[in-house]
Amino acid sequence: MSAPFRRRRDGRFVVKLDPSVRAVLATLAQQLLPTLDSDEPMTRRLFPPAYADPDHAHEEQEYRDLVDNALVGHHRQAFTVLAETARADTLSGAEFDDWMSAIGSIRLVIGTRLDVSEDMAEPAADDPAAPEYALYELLGQLQYLMVEVLAAGLPPEGRPEGIL
Amino acid sequence: MSAPAGASGAASEPAVPERAEPAGDVLVDIEEVQETDKPWLVIVWNDPINLMSFVTYVLQKLFGYSKEKATKLMLDVHTKGRAVVSSGTRERAELDVYRLHEHGLWATMEQST
Repeated sequence: MSAPFRRRRDGRFVVKLDPSVRAVLATLAQQLLPTLDSDEPMTRRLFPPAYADPDHAHEEQEYRDLVDNALVGHHRQAFTVLAETARADTLSGAEFDDWMSAIGSIRLVIGTRLDVSEDMAEPAADDPAAPEYALYELLGQLQYLMVEVLAAGLPPEGRPEGIL
Repeated sequence: MSAPAGASGAASEPAVPERAEPAGDVLVDIEEVQETDKPWLVIVWNDPINLMSFVTYVLQKLFGYSKEKATKLMLDVHTKGRAVVSSGTRERAELDVYRLHEHGLWATMEQST
């Protein structure tokens, strides 16, 4: 079987995924889209605090006021692109980045719901959490493969520090 | 990693011009200037969800770090629980934290001690 993700010479990304996997991605993106809000418990993991120190509550509020709209917009864009292009054969670089972002975010949301830990054992087949855990694992495999493709495009020696 | 408590980590801070009069309130002012000049540290915390290869990729992508340096920082996060990934002014640190949050990493900022 050929690789699910591949960067083509013209810079576009080829996606070879089972239609059932594509349907799952589209459904998850659509379902989570309306929950993208820093006040929503379901997706709160996507909006971590910037200031961990409680003494900086004022700075934290300033940070939230400054970035929350932009961060919601970032996630909304990624989820929308994933939902709309879930059945596409090829993606632009920007769309592939959105896939990566949305799949990673969905995985964070599901992993937080499952309360996963690093040494967690896979739940038994009759465990009510088993289907959701299988989904979590699938998203992890997809993310791993996408990282491999994207990381191969980065210079191993890095860029001059400080350049965005 | 975090600066050791009590150590003078910021050795290269710009010198504050000395004042002629040794009045107490002037000294307080100088201390406040030095306080705000201390660099902010951007910290990535270990979390059980993000993949190790993903964390390395994000550090390479956002900061231009070599694969070797990004991998070392990722392993620090994984084994020590946290790592300082960048530092600078408060504004710069907030921007870096925001970019890390865009990528789903658990990042916070704190002022160097």
